[in-house]
Amino acid sequence: MKTLRAILPPLIPFVAITATMEFLVREGFIRSYLLPAPSAVFLAIWENWGELAQAMLKTSASALAGFVLSTFTGIAAAVLLSSSRWVQKAFYPYAVFFQTVPVIAIAPLLVIWFGYGMQTVIASAFVVSIFPVIANTLTGILSTDPALRDLFRLYGATPAMTLFKLRFPAALPQIFTGLRVAAGLAVIGAIVGEFIGGGGLGSVVDVARTQQRVDKVFAAVLLASLLGLALFGSINLISRITLRRWHASEQTSQQAQ
Amino acid sequence: MAGAGVALRLEGVRRVFDGTLNNPVAVIAGMDLRIEAGEFLAVLGPSGCGKSTLLRMIARLDQPDGGSIVREPEGGRAQTAFVFQDAHLLPWRNVLDNAALPLELMGVARAERREAALAALGQVNLLEAVDRYPAQLSGGMRMRVSLARALVTEPRLLLLDEPFAALDEITRFHLDVQLRQLWRSRGMTVIFVTHSISEAAFLANRAVVMSRRGGAIKLDRTMELPEQRTNELRADPRLGQEMKLLLGAIEE
Amino acid sequence: MLRRAFLKTALKTGPALGLLAACGKSAKIRLALDWKPEPEFGGFYAARFESNGVDQRGLDVEILPGGAGTPTVQMVGAGSAEFGIVAGDELVVARSKGNNVVALFAVYQDSPLGIMAHASRNLSSIGDVFKAGTVALQKGLPFAALLEKKYGFSHVRVVPSPNGDITAFLNDEMFAQQCYITSEPLTARKKGVAVKTFPVSDTGFNPYSTVLATSDETLHKNPDMVKSMVAAVREGWRAYLDDPKPTNEKMHQMNPSMDADTFAEVAEVQKPFIESDETGKNGLGTMTKARWETLIAQLKDLGYIPAAIPAEECFREL
Repeated sequence: MKTLRAILPPLIPFVAITATMEFLVREGFIRSYLLPAPSAVFLAIWENWGELAQAMLKTSASALAGFVLSTFTGIAAAVLLSSSRWVQKAFYPYAVFFQTVPVIAIAPLLVIWFGYGMQTVIASAFVVSIFPVIANTLTGILSTDPALRDLFRLYGATPAMTLFKLRFPAALPQIFTGLRVAAGLAVIGAIVGEFIGGGGLGSVVDVARTQQRVDKVFAAVLLASLLGLALFGSINLISRITLRRWHASEQTSQQAQ
Repeated sequence: MAGAGVALRLEGVRRVFDGTLNNPVAVIAGMDLRIEAGEFLAVLGPSGCGKSTLLRMIARLDQPDGGSIVREPEGGRAQTAFVFQDAHLLPWRNVLDNAALPLELMGVARAERREAALAALGQVNLLEAVDRYPAQLSGGMRMRVSLARALVTEPRLLLLDEPFAALDEITRFHLDVQLRQLWRSRGMTVIFVTHSISEAAFLANRAVVMSRRGGAIKLDRTMELPEQRTNELRADPRLGQEMKLLLGAIEE
Repeated sequence: MLRRAFLKTALKTGPALGLLAACGKSAKIRLALDWKPEPEFGGFYAARFESNGVDQRGLDVEILPGGAGTPTVQMVGAGSAEFGIVAGDELVVARSKGNNVVALFAVYQDSPLGIMAHASRNLSSIGDVFKAGTVALQKGLPFAALLEKKYGFSHVRVVPSPNGDITAFLNDEMFAQQCYITSEPLTARKKGVAVKTFPVSDTGFNPYSTVLATSDETLHKNPDMVKSMVAAVREGWRAYLDDPKPTNEKMHQMNPSMDADTFAEVAEVQKPFIESDETGKNGLGTMTKARWETLIAQLKDLGYIPAAIPAEECFREL
């Protein structure tokens, strides 16, 4: 029952919009070669399931690999940046570069450096998703409670102790925020990488677009969105499990003395 | 229990913060103060008078810009404990691990520090909550964990900066009594910064009132009150008299 | 302080708004290109600047340059451009999906698409390209489907077309790529690599290319305007073929990624695609029903359209 109550609110607009779109396309208000009817999209998924499933698998693998790489590299980079103000001032602008560079412009460069194949797609996913990890992790590490930092100092904790026993665990909620953002971006990065490097859902979109098969384009795009959603949801779940003790429900916190 | 506390000698202590460019503000402009071993000292004063700054300097979290703060006897890391206004517990650790934190940072072995933490938590009557997490505790319970954490190293100098200010009155009364009992049984030097005149009078055997600016001591009063302090004392006229004196000094 | 900033902004936007209002009065005719300004569009830019043919007929045309993936056939269908440059096969597929665009003027009588490979490989026919190595193709294009059907892709690695970039080609001898015969091979030769080009038209698949198209709707509502446009375009192409230099300069300014020498070279190399005996007889951009019928049959055979469509609906000779 609880799951039904969770699903119902987002489900209602979805059904309403889908039904409206279906009506508009069928009655000719929207031209089907510009925007396909939802039924056409679902049919395209059904008819091309073998191809789409395989493509989805490939894109998932690349996006996931790029995301995992971003996670570890990003957190490590943020820890390094947090070690001194000079290091931060010297290297943070280069981290920002990853955020601002338009991936569609550098994707061809990635192909030149890494060649055609999955490694380029992973590189693209990595480039697009790493910055939020660095930025959020750094913010988390640097905004530790000053009173706790004083406490650690009082008892003579070494910088390493303070980092691993205080700053890093305290930064976890912020780190997860970064990972949530990075998850969706990794999928986008993978798809863009695939436009240039081939394979996966990106390739399906590119080919279908050239063939003027709008229904198949939307089918692939829909699956790509679901992929992003799945990754985002996984991070959310991991975050909730990891942080569950920090944010106990309201009821239990009102204990009697 | 004499000898279980630390004596402090402050001479000409000065602390300056950057005000405008050529006009640094002297938060504390040359303070002299002598605190005996095992004393329970309350520090009072209006907001911004520098009492928290003073406490941080005594804790060696801050350095004075002039003068000296000498401890007799000098000790190691275990000597000092600090309790903040909020409990500031680590939310990802349970009560036991939070209480044991100072010993962990000092490199004490696991079994030993567990034992010491349990003992400290027993002193604040929190043994039934050792496995719970801070998010599951009330404000008062969290403050008691913070106290247990402060006591776990058996400090000879216990510094508290308005620790009970965020709690409701009943909880405050209980914790005041508990703190006083802990002091009596262990004999460490306690310096207790507070806004509350009634709390200062109730808890301490000596109170200093700091001036609005510059950190001068306007009043240094040894309480004329019984050693045993229970909540009944709250209604006692003698407490009222001490409070009147303190209030007078603050309002001057 | 704030008042001054406000006044400054008002003074700047005021005249601009006035100009915008004036523009709104004359309906601009939009021509959407499917690539950057290059010699393949020379006649259109010449029509605008050179021979004055456009202005005399009262046509205010705005040429919208495109890039990789510009959806010209959808833009014309949706009405966001009155005219667009499309490929012949693209047009047929669009019509079969209900997007009724119609061809008016075929700049390229023959398809300039081809596969280019390193000459050092000594390949003799287009089929040899698919025996080994890497081939970069736009897999969605009908000609790619044709090549796959004829030669099979099992012995090569197929990767996406780099859209004019030849870096991968230059660095790898076994790399072959889809190209415009009038473009990439020239750039490759300049970089010191000898190439062998195989025209796709040799396989028999030879759609009209760089085709000026409009929607059935526009043609129906505004036949005179369309006729004027086609006439102006024809004049523009004549002018460009006779003397490409001034138009090349104008286009080069808009598209500095191609150097002036290459502009001149490509303008020369593309001539045989544009002028033929057919165009000599019937005028530049002419099209025949037979050619369209062949194309339609081929596309049906490749599975790009479910059923044949009437060839006479695909084009108009104006």
